[in-house]
Amino acid sequence: MNNIEKAELIVVGGGPAGLSAALAAADYGVNVILVEEREFLGGQLVKQTHRFFGSEKEYAGTRGIDISKFLVEKIKENENIKILTSSRVLGIYNDKIVTILANNKMIKYSPKALILATGASEKFLAFENNDLPGVFGAGAVQTLMNLYGVLPSKKILMVGSGNIGLIVSYQLLQAGVKVACIIEAAPRIGGYSVHASKLARMGVPILTSHTIKKAVGKDKVEGAIICQLDSSWREIKDTEQFIKCDAICLSVGLSPLTDLLKQANVKTSYVPELGGYIPLRDENMETSIKNLFVAGDVSGIEEATSAIIEGQIAGLNVAKRIKKDIDNQVKIEKKIAEAKDELELLRAGPVGEKVRNGLKKIGLDPLKNYGEKVSTEEFDISFLMKTGIPSKENLKKKLPLSEDVFNKGPIAISECFQQFPCDPCVKSCPFDAISENGSINNIPYVNFEKCTGCGICVSKCPGLAMFVVQKNYTDSTSLVTLPYEFLPKPVKNQIVLVLNREGTEICEGTVKRVRDGKIQDKTTVVTIEIPKEYFLEARNIKVDGGQKHG
Amino acid sequence: MRIEQHPILEFEKGEKIKFYLDGKEMIGFKGDTIASALYASGIYKLSESKKLRRPRGIFCAVGHCSSCLMIVDGIPNVRTCTTPLKEGMKIETQNQEVVLNE
Amino acid sequence: MDENKVIICRCEDVTLAEIRNLIKQGFTTVEEIKRLVRSGMGPCQGKTCGLLIAREIAEITNTSIEKIEIQNMRPPYGGVTFEEVIAGDTIEE
Ligand SMILES: Cc1cc2nc3c(=O)[nH]c(=O)nc-3n(C[C@H](O)[C@H](O)[C@H](O)COP(=O)(O)OP(=O)(O)OC[C@H]3O[C@@H](n4cnc5c(N)ncnc54)[C@H](O)[C@@H]3O)c2cc1C
Ligand code: SF4
Ligand code: SF4
Ligand code: FES
Repeated sequence: MNNIEKAELIVVGGGPAGLSAALAAADYGVNVILVEEREFLGGQLVKQTHRFFGSEKEYAGTRGIDISKFLVEKIKENENIKILTSSRVLGIYNDKIVTILANNKMIKYSPKALILATGASEKFLAFENNDLPGVFGAGAVQTLMNLYGVLPSKKILMVGSGNIGLIVSYQLLQAGVKVACIIEAAPRIGGYSVHASKLARMGVPILTSHTIKKAVGKDKVEGAIICQLDSSWREIKDTEQFIKCDAICLSVGLSPLTDLLKQANVKTSYVPELGGYIPLRDENMETSIKNLFVAGDVSGIEEATSAIIEGQIAGLNVAKRIKKDIDNQVKIEKKIAEAKDELELLRAGPVGEKVRNGLKKIGLDPLKNYGEKVSTEEFDISFLMKTGIPSKENLKKKLPLSEDVFNKGPIAISECFQQFPCDPCVKSCPFDAISENGSINNIPYVNFEKCTGCGICVSKCPGLAMFVVQKNYTDSTSLVTLPYEFLPKPVKNQIVLVLNREGTEICEGTVKRVRDGKIQDKTTVVTIEIPKEYFLEARNIKVDGGQKHG
Repeated sequence: MRIEQHPILEFEKGEKIKFYLDGKEMIGFKGDTIASALYASGIYKLSESKKLRRPRGIFCAVGHCSSCLMIVDGIPNVRTCTTPLKEGMKIETQNQEVVLNE
Repeated sequence: MDENKVIICRCEDVTLAEIRNLIKQGFTTVEEIKRLVRSGMGPCQGKTCGLLIAREIAEITNTSIEKIEIQNMRPPYGGVTFEEVIAGDTIEE
């Protein structure tokens, strides 16, 4: 009736998808209102202390918290974007009327276009006492420790080994929490192998084909009962095990937060490959309702890189509709095409298969222009995907063919064996010595001729999978350079314990060099001197005097 | 417990905030939500579920699940995980049946 | 597993035992179950329980989960107090 304000574009959700959508449209002069229910922008990014895997072009190799800062700064500088934080979109009614609860006041808008980028919510799991205090979603654990600086637990059981389960486990270790073990119902680790290997090196057991039966405790978790599953996911008798822990973290998947879309009567479909009920949409991210677009996890669970690109596609399409002059149209068309190509490239590898299958179910062709034959797994990584530990055969394939190469001096060894979309290693090397053979999904190889052993890539790789070895440092010792993200930081000449890929102590080493400057950005690059026989084994260190908490 | 040292993050402890849990004086810090302050002080049980009287604590910490509802300054069903802590707040464990506002 | 201690909907305290019972009695849509036990009508609006209930229905009735309608969503999303509605002057009835 009264006071329905007009607007050009409303973007709901201030995560990577919403931020990039707002920027893409505002760059062409569209007036954008960006609505976010939390007090801050950034979505999932603000809780991510790790370097993001993905495409370096979309900020991979940078920590989530820093990607967020960067995008938010750009948003704040843009005069065409009005930011409404602490504002929740309550409803979307017919004709795309949007009601917003902004700082305890209801306001209404009637925008020309809407982009929903509301992200996802966590899935829950049915087991006995699943509501006991101390049973958390992974997001809650991250919120407590990374936003509020509160220690969520002393010893935790992680349920689920997808990327989130693996990454949050690593973050828990960084906060000083013991991870009792990670259990996974499937026979294979769900996340990327590099993230699993980081944990294996820290000695965290990963138990595949295991599930949780019961949380134990009166008013608070005091332990958990887990058991083993057979190949048809049924419990194997007499395999129950009690795990002592004071918290249980569930990381069993996300499902798109489609409540608002359902209210608006957008057509949805159940597509398990994309996380559950997802909105039907076309390749321009437009839903069954004209001028209502989606982007990011709400349109199907994927990753930040894809969320950012989808946001661009949606934002650019809105700009195309609103800013009609010819000059713009040509430029925007070109940008949309580029973004779509980038998205296809990202999804073209073996790990993109699930997403591709999901997209096919809603009538999209995920490799429309890419066309090229999709690569299949190059290595046999079955052992790696069960344990997080690479097999001897895996390792051999990434080592120089001839021993002579080790004689030339320090060289980089890449311990990344899985084809998944990631390229910060390639982009970081100043000598152009790492190549993925033209596709972000391919396995990176070091060109030992070109590599100088400078160690730049060691701190840039989000998988912490780049090492530098110098076999013949002295007659009896070698140097190994590795990434280290824990406290206390080692110092020069300190004696440290040296661990292998399974987290087992193998020898002592002497710290020869510690690089901890701006370039390393908190991923300390440590060079240790060790007995020669271990130069292909030593991949982690233990420094005396663990983290303290009060 | 609070995280005192972290390899990546720096936590600046804000000013102290005094509040009350079921009449008992408690301390949190600026920047806390009610739930984060309670958790840091070792309070894990925030309410009892309304039918089965089961203990409940933080579950999602982002305002999605209702597991952290408490009575705050007399108002029931407040999601404490997203409500900023304020000086002098009176928090009560919610364990009698209260009508949920939907 | 004690199904009485497996919570499906934490807002309304609905257990797995209750849900399975209803499905066996022939209530095989999320909407019906919601009307009967209020699952998904609490403050979280079915965010945690919706998929779990759909999965139970699919399993017990031997249908594929794709065929099971999840509950309808009605505005407002996330709950508003009466004061907040009044505070805005732009509400039409
Ligand atoms: C532990 C973890 C590690 C990850 N690591 C990586 C990684 O290394 N690399 C990578 O590429 N990806 C990673 N991801 C995935 C990545 O974070 C997500 O894919 C990405 O954040 C999705 O972006 P989004 O904008 O769609 O959603 P989100 O980031 O979830 O943002 C959605 C926003 O919408 C807001 N919102 C929701 N509803 C409303 C409403 N009604 N009104 C107003 N606002 C609303 C929310 O508050 C939120 O801020 C990780 C995720 C997690 C959880
Ligand atoms: S060590 Fe230096 S030269 Fe060698 S691959 Fe890494 S960044 Fe390139
Ligand atoms: S080695 Fe390259 S592709 Fe592998 S995780 Fe590191 S940066 Fe990504
Ligand atoms: S813990 Fe889920 S709403 Fe607060």
